[in-house]
Amino acid sequence: MQFLTPWIALLAGLVAVPLLLLLYFLKLKRRELIVSSTLLWKRAVQDLQVNAPFQRLRKNILLFLQLLMLFALLLALAAPILSLMSGRARRHVLLIDRSASMSATDVEPSRLEEAKRQAKVYVESLRDPGFLSFRGARDQTMVIAFDKHSKVMCNFTADKRQLIAAIERIEAGHGASLLAEAIMVAQAFSLAPDDQPANEGLQEAAKLILFSDGRIADLDQIMVSTDELTFHSIGESGKNVGVTAMRARRLYENPEEVEVFATVANYNAEPVTTDVQLSVNDDVRAVKSVSLPAAKGEDGSDAGGPGKVAVNFSLSYAEAGVLTVRQLQSDSLASDDAAWAVLAPPKRLTALLVTGGNKVLELALKACPLAGLDIMTPSQFDDANDLSDFSIEQRYDVIVLDNHLSARTLRCRYLVFGRPPSNIDVSVSQELEHQVVVDWRPKHAVLKYVNLMNLYTQKCYKLDLPRDAELLAEFNESPALALVRRNGSVFLLAPFDVLSSTWPFEPSFVLFCYNAVSFLGMQVGQNQDANLLVGDPIVVDGLASGQSALVDGPDFSGSEIKANYSGSIRFPGTEHVGVYGVRAEPAAGGAAGEARLFAVNLLDAAESNIEPVREITVSGTLVQAEAGVLSRANLPLWPFLVGLALLVACLEWLIYNGKMRI
Amino acid sequence: MEKTKATTPRKRLTDLLDPEFMNRLDALDVLSRKILQGKLQGERRSKRRGQSVEFADHRPYVAGDDLRFVDWNIYGRLEQLFLKLFIEEQDLTVHVMADASASMSVGEPSKELFIKKLAAALGYVSLVNNNRVSLSMFADGVVGQLANMRGRNYLHQMADFLLTAQCDGISQFETACRQIASARIGSGVMIVLSDFLFKEGYDAALRRLIGRQYDLYVIQVLSPQELSPDFGGDLKLIDIEDADAAEITVSAALAKYYKRNLTAYCNELKDFCTRRGAVYALANSADSVESLVLNYLRRIRLLR
Repeated sequence: MQFLTPWIALLAGLVAVPLLLLLYFLKLKRRELIVSSTLLWKRAVQDLQVNAPFQRLRKNILLFLQLLMLFALLLALAAPILSLMSGRARRHVLLIDRSASMSATDVEPSRLEEAKRQAKVYVESLRDPGFLSFRGARDQTMVIAFDKHSKVMCNFTADKRQLIAAIERIEAGHGASLLAEAIMVAQAFSLAPDDQPANEGLQEAAKLILFSDGRIADLDQIMVSTDELTFHSIGESGKNVGVTAMRARRLYENPEEVEVFATVANYNAEPVTTDVQLSVNDDVRAVKSVSLPAAKGEDGSDAGGPGKVAVNFSLSYAEAGVLTVRQLQSDSLASDDAAWAVLAPPKRLTALLVTGGNKVLELALKACPLAGLDIMTPSQFDDANDLSDFSIEQRYDVIVLDNHLSARTLRCRYLVFGRPPSNIDVSVSQELEHQVVVDWRPKHAVLKYVNLMNLYTQKCYKLDLPRDAELLAEFNESPALALVRRNGSVFLLAPFDVLSSTWPFEPSFVLFCYNAVSFLGMQVGQNQDANLLVGDPIVVDGLASGQSALVDGPDFSGSEIKANYSGSIRFPGTEHVGVYGVRAEPAAGGAAGEARLFAVNLLDAAESNIEPVREITVSGTLVQAEAGVLSRANLPLWPFLVGLALLVACLEWLIYNGKMRI
Repeated sequence: MEKTKATTPRKRLTDLLDPEFMNRLDALDVLSRKILQGKLQGERRSKRRGQSVEFADHRPYVAGDDLRFVDWNIYGRLEQLFLKLFIEEQDLTVHVMADASASMSVGEPSKELFIKKLAAALGYVSLVNNNRVSLSMFADGVVGQLANMRGRNYLHQMADFLLTAQCDGISQFETACRQIASARIGSGVMIVLSDFLFKEGYDAALRRLIGRQYDLYVIQVLSPQELSPDFGGDLKLIDIEDADAAEITVSAALAKYYKRNLTAYCNELKDFCTRRGAVYALANSADSVESLVLNYLRRIRLLR
């Protein structure tokens, strides 16, 4: 036990105890009564008061009780607390996991609420100097909530109300758990110099208190001393069925046909049969019953893992819409029960061929199922390219550059034959001769059914590709086909002149052109940007500078955001799974645009695994979860002492009345 | 002695004594354990030789003796003149000393009335038996006295005296006893009625009344409140006589000490009296005078 304000109690005791004793000697206002003689009374009083005044105090139970009551009150004034966190004042950082798995309801009402409750108990237990304390030493605490990103809810403070309010403000997110950033933030804040020299203990490393289910993806990246970290494991069971992968795409051949692929995972120890439902714009289109095998145990042969089943749907849908795949088995985690995909309407591609005259290429492109093919000479293209009001990007899905080195490349998808553009981090080191293809990736969508065995070129440019470039085919000394993504544009590079190669005579050339145009038109584009994971920012380009847009989410609507100077908006608040819509405010006089939809999914097999972990490995050391549920550590004792004083007062009253009755 | 004013109606004896009680008192008489000298001829044997029917002794005739008392039978045998002496029967003097100090007016029922009734009863018994009765009231001295009453004729005067007497003033028992003793009212039965709560003590005073002259009866009358206090709390007790104050907080312990002291005080008085041949009796003013007189006083042989 420790006293927060012992000096106050001592000073009060020095005043109060002599006062009580003095009161005992003070004369009372007595009732007058006439008697025949005081003779016998005086003798009786003398008998009673032999050896007064100390005789009066002897065996006086009332004085004893009053002293006991006073002692209890003085002790209460000293603000005793039971146990607990002794020692000097410290800094504490409460790290509260708010990732998707913390939304699980295996603990009522949810794991996050339980974590918040325990955190509040912890805050209540912190040493709080009594309201009469002269000393300023007190525990300082900081609250950080984390999922994919960390969020400082409250900086170091000793104000418990502020801390509890900060804990109350934490809302559940649907992201993955990444702790490293939170720990880095905590360490950065705790290294900040303290402005109160009285708090000598605060210069020590802050104590990290982690409230989590232990499903943290980046534990191996955390460098923290294990005695600084206390882990409170939240959660009871890991029963969950979730959609861990989902993808929808239109067929190249028939864009009206949509294929939907989903993976449903079972994390239960026993097999589960569930219905998987596909809906388009909330209209149910198909329901499939799937039987999921049981999750493999941690000691299983396949090193653990959920029981997975892939589910495919095919449907004919020729409009824009939102596809939802939902598993209908009720479980404790709701955020992974559904996944969404935004489907763009089928679009016949429009292509632009920029060439000085290449009949072979022209014919090959015409053979492709394009909505339109425009042909420009390089000079026409450069002129149009310079005009700001002529947006190539809006008009053409694919631009084919045939031996044309454009001075400026707008954001688009390019198929480039010959020398690559200069501003895409691809350099040409030398020109090579007599090159044949030695290897290619026949499984890539661009090279599907394409045989490059007989491709020979007389001349080609030797490309130095950036590291993120995708190599599709190789000559003996240089890349033959490469995919480079730069500045929002995609470049499919073929560093040779078609006419100086044998390719036009090969059937693979037409197939390649078909594949390349389809690939560039379908795979890269709005659809890719529209399907995000939780925590990924929504990015919309092409707005006027300063134009505002309204963002609607699954749990909010009408959040306004303004475009930056380059005309793009970036909305980071994708904390919950669901469909988000971005509606650009119409520019002056213009009509309101249609909302662009974005699907934000969890799709994280690790996060869907909600089995609580009782021990985590940090910096190579095992950290066990604290046993038992957190209870108040610092119990203030003053209410009990005041209660005791009241009890003694009642007892004293009873005894007094008993004594006065003759 | 306070004189009764002519204008006030005469106090009646029945205010003090019931007729029925008086009837029963008629059968009683005052006893004396000693043979005391009376003043007049009466019905009691005395040590004196005088005229009665009871022979006491012979003595030689001397010139001047009454020839009627010469025992002629002895003269016939011895030819010498002897005179027959007889035991003289004298009357008995009963002194009743009643306390009339202010302290007697305290208590419920009042000690004053109790003492007056008791004095009236004793006086009645004495007067109807032709004893000589002296009634004295004392406080800081003798404040009133009816002396040498004899016969029923004095009953109303006694009642008048008792009923008009006021209890007032401080008590100086010793002064009162000295005055009584020096008044030479004659030897006899001395009955002292008081609460005996005298701060200066009762020893010296009672010593004056103890001796061959008086057959002393001490009757201590206390009120129920004095015998068993029924008040509590923080009190300032004020003595009605000398305004002396005693601050007490009545507790069970104090009450116990009080009763212990009271018992000790009474026992002390009783011992004092017993050692000196006096008779002590304690009376509660809440008890009936009738029962005290008819039972208790007969038991201690003050009355028969």
